[in-house]
Amino acid sequence: MTCGPSRWSGPDTVSYVLKRLGQTVLTAFLTILTVFVLLRLAPGDPAYNYAPPNPSTEQLEAIRKQFGLDQPLLQQFWTFLSNLFHGDVGTSFQFKQPALQVVMDRLPYTITLAIAAIVVTTIIAVPLGVWMARRNNTAPELGANIATIAGQSMPDFWIGFVLLIIFAVNLSWFQPSGFATWGELVLPTATIAILQIALISRLVRREMVANLAAPYITVARSRGVPERDLTWKYAFANSAIPVVTALGTRFAAMLNGVVIVEVVFKWPGVGALVVDALQRRDFPLIQATVLVTVILALVVQLAVDLVYPILDPRVRLGEASS
Amino acid sequence: MTTATAQSTDIPGTVVTPARLRRSAAARRHRYSRIKMWLGAVCAGVVIIPVLLAQVLPLQDPVNGSLAQALLPPMTDGHLFGTDANGRDLLSRVLHGGQTSLLIGCLAVLVSGAIGIVAGSLAGYYGGWIDTVVSRLLEAQMSLPLLLMLLLVVALFGPSILVITLVIAIAQWPEPARITRSLVLVEREKPYVAAARVLGLHRLTIIGRLIIPNILQQALVVVFLLLAQAVLLESALSFLGAGVQRPYPTWGGIISDGRQLFITGQWWLVTIPGLVIALLVIGVNLFGDGLRDRVRRTKAAS
Amino acid sequence: MAHEVSGDRTSVRAATPSRRTILQLAGFLGAGAFGGPLLSACAGPTGQSSAVTGGGEGGSLSIVLNRNLVSLDNKLNQYDAAVTVQRAVREALTRIGDDLTPQLVLAESFEATSPTVWTVKLRNDIHYSDNSKVTVEDVETALKYYFQVKAGYVASQFPEQPAFAKIDDRTFTLTTKKPVVSLMSLMSNILITPAKANKPEELQGGIGSGPFVIAKSDSGTGSYTLTRNDNYWGELAHLQQVNVSYQEEEGGRVVALTSGQADVIDTITPESAAKLKTDPKVDVIETPGTRLIHLFYNFREPAGHPLSKVEVREALSHAIDHASLIKALMNNQVSSAEGVVPKTLSGFYKTGDYVYDPAKAKAMLAAAGATGLKLRVIWEDAEFSGASQVLEAVAQMLNAVGVSLELKMIPKGGEINAWRRGESGDWDVLANGYGNQTGLAITNLVAQYAGTAEKEKTRDTYHGFVVPQITDLLDRASQEVDEAKQTALLDEAQKLIWAQWPAMWAWTPNNVLAKRKRVRGLRLRPTNAYDLRAISVVGS
Repeated sequence: MTCGPSRWSGPDTVSYVLKRLGQTVLTAFLTILTVFVLLRLAPGDPAYNYAPPNPSTEQLEAIRKQFGLDQPLLQQFWTFLSNLFHGDVGTSFQFKQPALQVVMDRLPYTITLAIAAIVVTTIIAVPLGVWMARRNNTAPELGANIATIAGQSMPDFWIGFVLLIIFAVNLSWFQPSGFATWGELVLPTATIAILQIALISRLVRREMVANLAAPYITVARSRGVPERDLTWKYAFANSAIPVVTALGTRFAAMLNGVVIVEVVFKWPGVGALVVDALQRRDFPLIQATVLVTVILALVVQLAVDLVYPILDPRVRLGEASS
Repeated sequence: MTTATAQSTDIPGTVVTPARLRRSAAARRHRYSRIKMWLGAVCAGVVIIPVLLAQVLPLQDPVNGSLAQALLPPMTDGHLFGTDANGRDLLSRVLHGGQTSLLIGCLAVLVSGAIGIVAGSLAGYYGGWIDTVVSRLLEAQMSLPLLLMLLLVVALFGPSILVITLVIAIAQWPEPARITRSLVLVEREKPYVAAARVLGLHRLTIIGRLIIPNILQQALVVVFLLLAQAVLLESALSFLGAGVQRPYPTWGGIISDGRQLFITGQWWLVTIPGLVIALLVIGVNLFGDGLRDRVRRTKAAS
Repeated sequence: MAHEVSGDRTSVRAATPSRRTILQLAGFLGAGAFGGPLLSACAGPTGQSSAVTGGGEGGSLSIVLNRNLVSLDNKLNQYDAAVTVQRAVREALTRIGDDLTPQLVLAESFEATSPTVWTVKLRNDIHYSDNSKVTVEDVETALKYYFQVKAGYVASQFPEQPAFAKIDDRTFTLTTKKPVVSLMSLMSNILITPAKANKPEELQGGIGSGPFVIAKSDSGTGSYTLTRNDNYWGELAHLQQVNVSYQEEEGGRVVALTSGQADVIDTITPESAAKLKTDPKVDVIETPGTRLIHLFYNFREPAGHPLSKVEVREALSHAIDHASLIKALMNNQVSSAEGVVPKTLSGFYKTGDYVYDPAKAKAMLAAAGATGLKLRVIWEDAEFSGASQVLEAVAQMLNAVGVSLELKMIPKGGEINAWRRGESGDWDVLANGYGNQTGLAITNLVAQYAGTAEKEKTRDTYHGFVVPQITDLLDRASQEVDEAKQTALLDEAQKLIWAQWPAMWAWTPNNVLAKRKRVRGLRLRPTNAYDLRAISVVGS
């Protein structure tokens, strides 16, 4: 294969990466700004949640001062921004520790769950999707098709509860909550994976069906290339791109979206933390969580976009990215 | 080399028999999409019809129950689904709750569909800065912690039907927008659009009266599928406590109430409403999928 | 964002897939390498009970609380289950005993040498876990810092800050301007730490003089490990180790207990208690509690409002069928109040019972011209267990006597504060829980019923309850040093309060705790705390 200019070199690519980085920073900033403002506009008095029961006006004022909530909104935002540049996202009202620390302490648990779910999803969904594509328009495929539709239709908290009832309460195979041993990973992962497998396998099937019907496959088949090679080396190779993109996007979404599963299974991750923090109006903790998860999700997406040229040499970064 | 015997009803001399036709890929696709549509309609109908008729059916009071009848398991004492902790009939609560959930779902889908189609077609047709803005918004929304933002907005404006509908609509507009945009991008290059421009038609007219009707069928299928997602999202919000307020039942709210109880053996409060949601959503998705199979032109062919 | 790959697909790809496959494989491996360190950093047990070494001395206990024990220090926060763990590490001069009267701990004597002066003498055998002596300076510093902490919970229970004066190495006096009769009980919440290590904020680590020391503490996940203090000045604890963690989800706690993952869980709902009683490996302990939950009226209604008439308030109380509520929704785990404070508190006076009589209710309402009344009840989400169900049932009961009750649940987040102060909207009844940390009835009474017009200006009364006669009685009682006279004053005050029918219904939930049978020596106090020192575990 002749080597032309590397697909990653050149001013186009560099400017593309810079542009994307800039967009990432901008999106993260706007998100934080929105969250910041919304939090302070929402009704509810954070001081009340951290005051002694039946607090007097004086006590509430003292707490508000301690949290810096008595200052005007712009002032608060300015303080927040200037602290942000020093890497200080504020001190959690509830834990009295740097909010960033609290989030980073619990982030690995969420990441574990997300990774486990993605791995299981990939292992099952990809072969399933390919099988469904090969057997397209046959009766067994219809069954699988309906099953995957069912899989993506069930509410995740319901799946979680049903699994809990069957396996934890009645059969007692697993503990219903917390993360004391590796065994507890099974049920939450299964809950997430059912939905993701359904979605990804359908995507794989869609792409594969389209690719398998393409003229070049027919030509290759007529040249005598074996079916298995056609399926995997030709059609699948071309389908890999949207699938990898989807997996990457799903992973990023999972970092934001395992909240419900974490609540149902009482997983010590970031999702449950933020729901709790929202109820208690722990502003710094909510802000820190949003900041971390948004940046993480954007970084993953950026990584997926950068991996593109490896997967498809026809893609040049910076062009046709619409 | 094989000489197939022609059936008597055939065009004489052909190998193509009705049996072969029936086995062909196209016929099978048609058949399977019909199976899916029927199955979907039945599943969804089993849920939607009783819900719509909830005021009319002879159901017990969903709001006032009798404490003496608290926490009865399904199929006791005339309670098909059992009762909840306040002694209220679960079947009745599920059906009445379904009205709220379905109402919110339909409204949200209408709003998000409208916004999505309009935004997507404008972005697809005009391109330029409109496209950039819309695409950036789409991208930004994907990276947001969606559930958290929704909870925050509900905390801000209060959990009323209007707010929850808008919140779900905002969560869902990217899908129709994206689809519409890519469809419009394709349509834009077609000759009839150029002809319309030459004839001096205003661009908005072109979009509204020519392009949108052509893509509407495909876009609407996507919007229809959103109904299922909207119902799921509404129940998720209720489950997390941000749903419509007491004592009116919502599906997610009933499940949330039952959360503490399933561990002590009262499984029906959690499983049955969830099963109803699942059935509805599966039905809608199956129907929509079958519909899409009918409507879509395959990628390879276009 | 969809990447449209344009270009036709007619080229046959024979050589490139293998390179692509390699690259994809590399990508996956890379992701694995990224995830690996994360994974290994993640797997952490959260409060597992280690194997027991057999009966007698040693062994470990696993406690799962229902809230995050944010710190082992109580300057800002104190709730029942926390007391158990906090007192295991740090001690105070006194403590609230099993009968809710104060007992001596670090102090050898604690006497009122005059109405406004208390003389305290420390024991001479007390020391911290590192053998350093507990000094009078430590007490002074602790007292100072508790009051310095802004809006501290403990400090707010004192009517004023006592002035400290050292007399000698073991003796000091506490002086107040007005007599504070319950000082001995109040000082039970001032935990003593070495002065140098103490700060006017909640301490995360550090040492105390208690029977256990902190081995590991992580306030983010709420997990703590305590080990026995072999240097304890008193009788050594039996347990070698205590693991503390928390889980808000009730179901999770229950199954942790039944599976053996946890040894003790507290604050259980009636349904779970019912189920646990059938488990052969579990004991369920119930004691009457000290928390009062009541449906309190809004005393800030405009004049002429039906609720400002005592007869109307009394009538509504007769409409509540509390027996059914207790049986069906509360699983018999609460007792209907017999006075204005919980029965368990010292100083309680029985003023009457809540009686269900719907006919009487209707008659009284009609006589007062209040039939067809429309009321609104507010409460904070999860204020008490089963709140929504209980209030929905109450609405039904009121319906039966012709009163319509609108339910408005205020979501968590502090919004309820504005409502309670009358700044958010109109309401008529509030479902509110009121806890007690001193064991004394007078604490509740003063906080709720001693309102003044002055305090009402800043909305610092208990929902507008201002009855000067009652306030006067309570003020005099707080300063009365003679016990008999004080009791007489308090009884009189409680009678007057009851006659006002300030709450539609009130009840005290039992403290319910479940433990595995291997745990011995657990005595649950009405304050929902117990002494970790006395606990031992046998077998497994």
